[in-house]
Amino acid sequence: MLKLENLGCGYGAVEAVHDVSFDVPSGSIFALLGPNGAGKTSTIMAIMGHVDIHGGRILLEGEDITRRRAVDRVGLGIALVPEGRQLFSDLTVDENLTVGGYARPSARDAAKRERVFGYFPRLAERRSQLAGSLSGGEQQMLAIGRALMAEPRLLLVDELSLGLMPKMVDLCLDTLTQLRREGLTVVLVEQNTARALDVADRVCVMSSGMLIYQGTAAEAKAAGSMFATFLGMNEPAQP
Amino acid sequence: MYYIDLAVTGISFGCMYAMMSVGLTLVYGLLRILHVAHAAVFALGAYATVLAANATGSLALGFLAAIIVTPLFGMAIYRLLYEPLLGYRPDVPMIASVGLLVLMQDAFRVVFGEQGVTFRRNAFSFTTFDFYGVTVSAVQIALVVTAAIVFLGLHLFTTRTRIGVGWRATVSKPRIAASFGVDPIKVRYLNFAIGSALAAIAGGLVALLNNLVDPAIGFVVSYKALAIIVLGGLGSVRGTLIASLVLGLVEAYGTIFIGAWLDRDAIAFLALIILLMIRPQGFAGARAA
Repeated sequence: MLKLENLGCGYGAVEAVHDVSFDVPSGSIFALLGPNGAGKTSTIMAIMGHVDIHGGRILLEGEDITRRRAVDRVGLGIALVPEGRQLFSDLTVDENLTVGGYARPSARDAAKRERVFGYFPRLAERRSQLAGSLSGGEQQMLAIGRALMAEPRLLLVDELSLGLMPKMVDLCLDTLTQLRREGLTVVLVEQNTARALDVADRVCVMSSGMLIYQGTAAEAKAAGSMFATFLGMNEPAQP
Repeated sequence: MYYIDLAVTGISFGCMYAMMSVGLTLVYGLLRILHVAHAAVFALGAYATVLAANATGSLALGFLAAIIVTPLFGMAIYRLLYEPLLGYRPDVPMIASVGLLVLMQDAFRVVFGEQGVTFRRNAFSFTTFDFYGVTVSAVQIALVVTAAIVFLGLHLFTTRTRIGVGWRATVSKPRIAASFGVDPIKVRYLNFAIGSALAAIAGGLVALLNNLVDPAIGFVVSYKALAIIVLGGLGSVRGTLIASLVLGLVEAYGTIFIGAWLDRDAIAFLALIILLMIRPQGFAGARAA
């Protein structure tokens, strides 16, 4: 589905990600792990078209999208759930969903909206409310719902669990698992390694802008404390 | 009755200020640029209305010409003046904007003359109606009705249409809106087109009100509109509307009580200074912590 080949990217002359290559299989959850400043978000932003590419290629189902404008990538089937939700706080829940579906024909909006409300019934009760007035958990639901309105093939999720109650993290991760079963491919950037390993099929670990580990989630779990050392952070869940 | 007359004058001027200032608010909200050259767009709208009305004999065609010409001019300002300067500090495009305003004022002087232009036939400007002793001019009614239609239309556009909602999303978070396919470049053009068209309508109505368009017509607008958007809370359309109406009313009543000492514009700025000292964040701005 998604392939990165020797990707180097950053902000102006400053390179945040160096020579990163990985392959995300179709219909899988691919966890991108690592400590703060490892280059995970920069990698996601490169796939979305928001940072400067210094070298390498990004391929989506074989098509080279490295130089495509950010505004065109959603039309190719990539949608983003950004770090910190980044909702349009002065817009209502309904209006945020409208923006989510902006690149697709409006005729399908109503059906997609119902699908989102099917995943997150609480959003249906809040549809006229301003996004900025929602709770943290509701905002994360809306961020996922907004991305689903874009009818993505590939969903990029950045720091889903940040600032959320464990119950809400479970709900959002369960939704991602369900979406994967429906055929969606997910790239999940996550600091909560244990929870990420619970839902991911494949894992890759970044540190200082470089890729230092790649494997299946099962292998990472089996590696146990050695894997945690890689990350320099919390222990992964034991198999 | 006299005080009601003043209220009518104040509200009609407030409506005019709102239409001429909202374009500035829209540009500031999106690009964080103080679009001083908006006053030149306003002046161009006023000239275009008078010249086209005189050429065709139809006031409606005059306004139509203005709302066709000025959006093109506004979009050209964005493309040729601001876009190349967006990577610089915000004061750089603002200074370029001041330069364009001065240039345009001189261009109007050179092309259309120092004395300005007037409508050849303009019965509309001198038509008045009497409502139970309150005298209201046709231009005042036109200002209020036009502003009501324009702002209701703008509200419906930005809340009921996809493009309008996408526009608001871009003002809020341009990069995220682009991630969902809202093209920020198209939004900028739309922003300049709509803001310029509104300024043109205001310019045409001021031309009717004064029955004169001279090269200095944009000058007062330039600083008064800037003060209004600051008072409105910078970037807030609602705040701009409130600030415009407050300013119109303060001017109207101020001329009665202190008009012997200060002229209309001086009263307006005295009020603006006092209001900004009381509420520096503007009407719609968040209070600083």
